[in-house]
Amino acid sequence: MNDTIPVRILVVEDLAAQAELARIFLTGLGYEVRTAGTAGLAYEIALEWQPDGLLLDLELPDYNGLELLKKLREAGNDAVVVVVTATASMELAKQAIRAGAEDYVVKPYNRDRLGVTLRNAIDKRSIDHQRRHLETALVHTQTRLVAAEAKLERKTYAGFIGASAAMRAVYDTLQGVAASKASVFITGENGTGKELAAEALHKMSPRANKQFVPLNCGAIPRDLLESEVFGHVKGAFTGATSDRVGAARLAEGGTLFLDEIGEMPIEMQVKLLRFVQTGTYSPVGSSKLEKGDVRFVCATNRDPLLEVESGRFREDLYYRLYVVPVELPPLRERDEDVLLIARHFLTQFAAEERKRFKGFSPQAEAQLMAYPWPGNVRQLQNVVRNIVVLHDAAQVELEMLPPPVYRPGMRPAPPRVIAPSPPPVAEAAPEAAPPPEIPEPSRPAPMVSQIVARPAVPVVDPQTEILPLAEMERRMVLAALTRCDLDIPRAAAMLQINPSTVYRKVGQWRKEGKLPEGFRI
Amino acid sequence: MALDPDFAAELARELQPADYIAVLKLFREDMLRLVGVIEKAAAANDTVGLRAAAHGLAGAAGSMGAARLEAACQIAMSRHEVIPDLGVAAAEIRKLATAVLADIEHAIARAEAA
Repeated sequence: MNDTIPVRILVVEDLAAQAELARIFLTGLGYEVRTAGTAGLAYEIALEWQPDGLLLDLELPDYNGLELLKKLREAGNDAVVVVVTATASMELAKQAIRAGAEDYVVKPYNRDRLGVTLRNAIDKRSIDHQRRHLETALVHTQTRLVAAEAKLERKTYAGFIGASAAMRAVYDTLQGVAASKASVFITGENGTGKELAAEALHKMSPRANKQFVPLNCGAIPRDLLESEVFGHVKGAFTGATSDRVGAARLAEGGTLFLDEIGEMPIEMQVKLLRFVQTGTYSPVGSSKLEKGDVRFVCATNRDPLLEVESGRFREDLYYRLYVVPVELPPLRERDEDVLLIARHFLTQFAAEERKRFKGFSPQAEAQLMAYPWPGNVRQLQNVVRNIVVLHDAAQVELEMLPPPVYRPGMRPAPPRVIAPSPPPVAEAAPEAAPPPEIPEPSRPAPMVSQIVARPAVPVVDPQTEILPLAEMERRMVLAALTRCDLDIPRAAAMLQINPSTVYRKVGQWRKEGKLPEGFRI
Repeated sequence: MALDPDFAAELARELQPADYIAVLKLFREDMLRLVGVIEKAAAANDTVGLRAAAHGLAGAAGSMGAARLEAACQIAMSRHEVIPDLGVAAAEIRKLATAVLADIEHAIARAEAA
């Protein structure tokens, strides 16, 4: 109760003497009092005057007090109600309490009795309100605490696996920017998951029910890029035998992911700039402007500012697209994420290949942690698949790690002082194993100095030279791997064979010394 | 006495004299109005109307220390199923109310004199 503002009490009583007696008592006790002789009048006053409490006689001329109480509650009025009752209507008073009245007072009552009953009822309500307020605040605090703890302990997010501080910062940025239409510029070395980040942004955005259209600017011939982005009309160029819808149209209302944007030719950058600025574009061969509503997410493994300074990337386009930067950390800077990811892939591939692997030995884990992973998650993925394909045991031993992660005779990294190797991620949370971390397609040029230059493998022209079929096959596979930046799953997809086959063959060639020196796979 | 003197004295102590007189006068009006309603209901064999008015008067009488009138009203409420009793009950209530009225007038006069 407030000590400075008088508490308002509405006396609902049809007998004038009773109403006056209550009014006198309550006024004497410091309350501000109004009276109503009918339920209808009481309802109007209660809604307009908003009393703190009602002293309510149940027998009223128009309709009874229970009905009035119900109507008030339905109207959102939560005034404290104390029912006045004669002994004969005690049962009715109890009904009223069940209907939401706080207490009742039996006639005849004196001033003190009435005052105590009313004060207790109001105090009880006030305490209830405070308790509910505190309970609500407590629930909110607990919810925030749980969310904060979950955030701190988060090991997976939107397809990513990782609990390192660097990745948690990425998760926070993705979470924060997902709902916006702001352009996002993702940077990071190859294999860090740039396309995964772009897809995560799309899936968490209000545009999730529309298309996510990825376009690798580095993989599309320069002459075709404009058509791929904006589409073309029939006859626009040789071979344009019909109208074709471009990525901009496909991504209408959704997200257009321009991967390897640094590879986009400068003349195409001008056209993209116009689309970003005005939201309009023209399909190739058409003079008609079309409107497009897309969210731009771009990615590159280069330093975009250096590209601008070198003149390879337009500065105005850079500022249009580089609104929210997201930098994906290389695996070597992600602490124990290496092990989380390795365990995840081990579980996944062991299930796929029907192998027994359940974890890594401490020595193997130490070596995985010590290795710098220039190819990032993709390289780790390949290494784990290699191990699973070529071996079968309860745990991965140090000797099973392929070069360059470990070579026989190499001084192994000291074992990490850790608790026994935890079960793989999928075993720890079998009900919701996180989806695999799928890195973005690689670009042809190596991006970090740690990758040793690979020798070109001469591919034989069968028209001019005939070699044993096995050798022809070896050269073809190695050539495909070279073209795919040693990305075995990608090379296997292009060769239309199972990745396991490539792993087996590579392992065999390594044993036979038929793997070129530069092939650190 | 139709009004409990102890009860009346306590009420007089709790209220300012003017308020005490005002409450007595209002009770007098309520009582006479409700007795009239009870008599009309009895004459019309309106058990529901009689019960409602008797209920109101019982509460009011109890609040003013008119215990016998309160009891008569409660009896009337409990006998409403027996039609011949309505008239008897109304007559009893009238008789007791008349006695209460006399006490009220006396109390008012005494309070005003004080």
